[in-house]
Amino acid sequence: MQMPAAPTETKVSIEGLQKFFRTGHTKVIALDNVNLAIPDGQFVCIVGPSGCGKTTLLRILAGLETPSDGRITVVQGDKNKPVNSMIFQEQSVFPWMTVKDNIAYGLSMRGLDSKGKDEKVDYYVKKVGLSKFAKAYPHQLSGGMKQRVSVARAFANDPEILLMDEPFAALDEQNKILLQEELLRIWEETRKTVIFITHSIDEAIVLGDRVIVMTAHPGTIKADVKVEFARPRGVYELRAQPEFGKLAYEIWGLLRDEVLKAKREEGAE
Amino acid sequence: MSTPLTGKADGMESQLEIAVTAPGAKGFHIRGDVAERLLSVFSPLLLLLLWEFLVRTGLLDARFFPAPTGIVSTFWALVSSGELFNHLSASIVRLAVGFVMGATPGLMLGLIMGLSPMIRAAISPMIAATYPIPKIAILPLIMLIFGLGEMSKYVVIAIGVFFLVLINTIAGVVNIEKIYLDVGKNFGASRKNMYFTIAFPGALPLIFAGVRLAWGVALLLIVAAEFVGAKTGIGYLIWQSWQTFSVEAMYVGLVIISILGYVSSLILDELERILIPWKSLHLSA
Ligand SMILES: Nc1ncnc2c1ncn2[C@@H]1O[C@H](COP(=O)(O)OP(=O)(O)OP(=O)(O)O)[C@@H](O)[C@H]1O
Ligand SMILES: [Mg+2]
Repeated sequence: MQMPAAPTETKVSIEGLQKFFRTGHTKVIALDNVNLAIPDGQFVCIVGPSGCGKTTLLRILAGLETPSDGRITVVQGDKNKPVNSMIFQEQSVFPWMTVKDNIAYGLSMRGLDSKGKDEKVDYYVKKVGLSKFAKAYPHQLSGGMKQRVSVARAFANDPEILLMDEPFAALDEQNKILLQEELLRIWEETRKTVIFITHSIDEAIVLGDRVIVMTAHPGTIKADVKVEFARPRGVYELRAQPEFGKLAYEIWGLLRDEVLKAKREEGAE
Repeated sequence: MSTPLTGKADGMESQLEIAVTAPGAKGFHIRGDVAERLLSVFSPLLLLLLWEFLVRTGLLDARFFPAPTGIVSTFWALVSSGELFNHLSASIVRLAVGFVMGATPGLMLGLIMGLSPMIRAAISPMIAATYPIPKIAILPLIMLIFGLGEMSKYVVIAIGVFFLVLINTIAGVVNIEKIYLDVGKNFGASRKNMYFTIAFPGALPLIFAGVRLAWGVALLLIVAAEFVGAKTGIGYLIWQSWQTFSVEAMYVGLVIISILGYVSSLILDELERILIPWKSLHLSA
């Protein structure tokens, strides 16, 4: 993709990032020398074999883990907006709150009055197709429905950066496509910076401006692939294009070795 | 219809499911239900009748086991003189005041210790050292310090309640899945909101279990405290009956205590259903 004429401000910059975990006497290196610069408003997808440190990277950006080495800079633009909101890979919807209260959580924490809050929350309750369950508790929902609550909770919070950790992995195919299209639509409207982790190469190409391929454990960046399809995109229209298949094949070629390596290592342990 | 088949082995809850899913089985289960209920009403009545019979025929010693009819008439005498109400209300006030005095700091300290590993590490050893002391053993000390008045009763109940609520609250907060605290942090929850929107509701099921245990201990302690240092209360009624050898009144006291325990457990059930709706399966229908 050609860079726009106006210089885009770098929103997130990651330099020489390293992260290790110590469990007992063993030291696990999760991320090693990760370098990445993300311009404001870019949609970045990250793919990589299981256990290569994708979640760890996102958690560091979310401020939930501290880097062991290296530097991370996140530029805050709008002082009235939260810098980032994370959609977690695992079940993270509060069991003790109704669907609506869960989705309103970020807004409540920011002390929004109930009028502005209700409007936003209702909008996203509808968007994720849970209007009938607005007053239900999570134990009354299916796994996919809970994941949609967690997606709506992050969207409603309206952050500058969306950190999405395999947000649609637990969804059925139909809801997945609906939410992908909704995510594309929201992104067209707001041009938020999005960092999106997925195991699906198709999904990464459909959504992203750029696909980052990570190496097997310890995770570093193996390749940075530009996705140059025009926007606005439609999920199915894009898949029908021959370039789509070519790009997917190229990324699979990069990923394949890493997945095999990860598998070998698992076997060796 | 595979659920009823697997359900049968699972017992009670699944049987309800059968009643809903298989209309044929419905009638049978309702009849079974009624029979069970009748049985559970009539078996105690039969026992009372047998008791009465054995006393009247002299097979049971009436000095230790007075006839049920005698207990009932003593009960009415105590009710109409207003004496029973005085004892009961004195005990309930002591229970309530002592409970609140113990549960409030137990809950607050428990939440703080639950969320902060540092504070937990600092205070836990003291809790572990003092918790096993039987609370009845320190009753004399408490009476020495607080005198024979109401305060000593409040304090002994408060101490017993404090430990159980504290320990269960800590366990409740510590057992909250870490991911929920991460969500709180990521969505900008303040320190206060970490307590109110995550620690407290997340720990509530275990806190409630603690409250139940604590209430049981409070009933035990109030009776013990009223044995030795009181002129009112159900414990006093029982103790005084022993001293004056009015065995029927003693039985009245025992029955009242057990009714108090039973009614309060019903109230706690209801309270749990209201306060912890996300654990209740009744709302899901
Ligand atoms: N808190 C932790 N303590 C110790 N090791 C950890 C911790 N968190 C992650 N790791 C290790 O760091 C590595 C990367 O984990 P991470 O969860 O980031 O992988 P991932 O790429 O998200 O995998 P997946 O695709 O399966 O979600 C793994 O080897 C994991 O065992
Ligand atoms: Mg992960």
